[in-house]
Amino acid sequence: MKIDIDTTLSCDVLIIGAGGAALRCAAEILENRPTAQVVALTKVTHPQKSHTSTAQGGLAAVDPKDPLDATVYHMFDTWKGSDCTADQNVVKIICESAWEQILWLENRGMHFSRNRDGRLSKRTFGGHTRNFGEASVYRAVFEADRTGKGIMDTSWGETLKKGIRFLNQTIGVELLIENDWCHGVIAFQQKEGKFIRILSKATIIATGGSGQVYRVTTNCRQNTGDGLALVLQAGLPVMDPEAVQFHPTGIVGPGILASETLRSVGGILRNRALEPFMVDYAPKMRELAPRDLVARAIESEIREDRGITNPDHQIAHVWIDLTHLPDEVHEKQIPEVSSFFKRYVNLDTKSDLCPVRPSNHYHMGGIPTNAWGEVEDHEGHPIGGLYAAGECAAASFHGFNRLGTNSILELITMGSIVGRRVLNYLKDEVKAHHDPDPLIFRSKFEGYLDNSGSESIGILRSELRTLMTDKVSVFRTEESISEAIEVIHEIQERAGKVSIANRRLPMNQELLQRWELDNLLLVATSICHAALYRKESRGAHFRDDYPSRLDEFNHHTLVAVDHGGECHISQRQIDMSLFEAGGEHSEKFGFIERSY
Amino acid sequence: MSEIYNLTLIIARRDSADDTPRYQTYEIQAGPIMRFVDLLRTINDEQDPTLTWNSSCEHGQCGTCSMKINARPMLACELLVENAIAMFGTSTFTLEPLEIAPVVRDLVIDSDAAYERVNSVKPYIIEPLPPGSEAEEHQINPDQLEYYVDATRCINCFCCSSACISSHRTFLGPNAMLATIVRVLDPREQEKEERYRKIYSDQGVYRCHTSKACSHVCPKEIDVARFIALAKKGFLPE
Repeated sequence: MKIDIDTTLSCDVLIIGAGGAALRCAAEILENRPTAQVVALTKVTHPQKSHTSTAQGGLAAVDPKDPLDATVYHMFDTWKGSDCTADQNVVKIICESAWEQILWLENRGMHFSRNRDGRLSKRTFGGHTRNFGEASVYRAVFEADRTGKGIMDTSWGETLKKGIRFLNQTIGVELLIENDWCHGVIAFQQKEGKFIRILSKATIIATGGSGQVYRVTTNCRQNTGDGLALVLQAGLPVMDPEAVQFHPTGIVGPGILASETLRSVGGILRNRALEPFMVDYAPKMRELAPRDLVARAIESEIREDRGITNPDHQIAHVWIDLTHLPDEVHEKQIPEVSSFFKRYVNLDTKSDLCPVRPSNHYHMGGIPTNAWGEVEDHEGHPIGGLYAAGECAAASFHGFNRLGTNSILELITMGSIVGRRVLNYLKDEVKAHHDPDPLIFRSKFEGYLDNSGSESIGILRSELRTLMTDKVSVFRTEESISEAIEVIHEIQERAGKVSIANRRLPMNQELLQRWELDNLLLVATSICHAALYRKESRGAHFRDDYPSRLDEFNHHTLVAVDHGGECHISQRQIDMSLFEAGGEHSEKFGFIERSY
Repeated sequence: MSEIYNLTLIIARRDSADDTPRYQTYEIQAGPIMRFVDLLRTINDEQDPTLTWNSSCEHGQCGTCSMKINARPMLACELLVENAIAMFGTSTFTLEPLEIAPVVRDLVIDSDAAYERVNSVKPYIIEPLPPGSEAEEHQINPDQLEYYVDATRCINCFCCSSACISSHRTFLGPNAMLATIVRVLDPREQEKEERYRKIYSDQGVYRCHTSKACSHVCPKEIDVARFIALAKKGFLPE
């Protein structure tokens, strides 16, 4: 089957993605340059369906009116939380402009929860401290338990108001890069079944996370690492792909997040024999130990065959026991999570043990950018006209472990920073559209449609996701990662034997899923190679065979994949500008120990 | 070992909006807590990869997987097998797309067309009130916010529009009405006149027959009808 480009579209700014980072960026551009032609593509049916909408908890931002909190404390918490692998120039920029971003959202209609004075309510989260770890601080503003939805609704509304053009259910399939300069993208419009060429002066990748690489994930179905695959396919590197965060308690089987609160109100984790096992791993803190420790404890119980397998979903888990808590706790303190258990596994937290297991939650790693979101190659040279923001990007604000409430802060802040950068660029460099030949997408999609064989996309996808959950998740060893790499190769070969039953292009779900499978395989490959390379444990990356953090790995990992499928590893320095600036508090920003 | 149910799914299939639907039957076995999105995925993996449907978050926060199940508009990600059997008293289920916009394929509708009605009411603050002082947030009394906050929880799944007994051609729909009613009640919006014109237009709230089907089917359990009634009464205090 032959594939052709249907039409060519030209614009000033093209954004691949329409979630929180994408639309905050678009709004920044359109507010300051109303004549700019901004086009945003999204894979989902509408921007409101983006994964940003599911973020619950809050947005970390130091209120300048708060006498107890200070921006430097937020910077410190972020640096420490990152296990000393965040870039300090980025940490500084984001923490310093956080409150300004909150006001931007509030002034444009976001429905933040309010205190009695009518000001923004604040709550505290794990790792939010004042005086460099001395005591908890109230730093997170929020919109009930739907803060991400508030961001999404507000930024979508603002861009709609300012005249953005959305192409919904459209994916970017090949970046048009020539001589280190990006000129746009080849896109596929699912509904119409058409490939189009979009030429742009600036292209921003904001495709979100990659959670679907793992079997149990809190991420939406669409988070298949498409942006990472797009740059890898163009020969560019991804950074720190091994830095993947797992939440200790995802609900089996959908993986929905069951919040930390369950343990703080007195929930007890039990194994198959109903033994409370946390006492064996953290005798003092027990259930209240930090996220990564609890996740490893649960995973150990499962690995040593003390877990339970859910018969419907065929997923191993442990129990969280809340049955001993008074009714009032169920009704007043954990009503949302209780309702999730009721709704998705039909269990009553008052009388039933509830199944939980570690669930993939967030990708700290991503497309390497500088502090203004400009995408860099493996030598740190920016690619002209190409930017990335949001979960798909790594500037890096989170390093190897992200603090709760820092993700949606990063989305809106980096979104607006990239927007400002693009505005300057549009002003300075009025370039004519250039139209390089696409090299990859035709043979790729023609191959998908022409291949024959009896393999199933769904089964290969399941095998890959189970493999990654078993071998390269909370625990990793040289042996488990190497095994995963081998099996991924086999799955890649078998993927060539998938035949697509329906060859009509409009709304061809199989074709989309075949493309997603390739993206998942490519991202999984980069995760495995980086995890194998990093012979130490740091933040969310835990190697059984190398359980300590080592100074020799005080750098970011860059992974690129060549045309033969070989992976190449290189390094990027961690920006230490806060430490190097000297003066008051600078000593707090050295390679400190991450202990709580 | 938990129980296994033998289910029959009868699914409306169409290659495009112009086709008349043909109903295809799938027999499938599933455990009690499998969700309807899991069933559709299993059909894709094991029986028929061409059956087309859509979802995104799969935990009731985005509204992508709304469809009609035994004629009731609902989110497929929230319906568990054992609850469905209890609710409908059968193990045979007919799945059809919402009829509020043209079908693209099978269970997928043209959501751009559906959203045009929401876009037409301007789902954003048209003329924002400047905050009290420079670089500050507005102060909004929490009781005032409480009065309309439920309307802000709408995820535009269009279940209400589908259940509404008013014609889809003449009424913009309950969710579109909510999007503008929120901004009438939000003290930060100064442009109320334009909103009233739309709310009381010939496509506005007076098309509503007060069946309250919207409140009844809303997956977010928003009392949509209360807000529509509020608008019908001219936003006088309840």
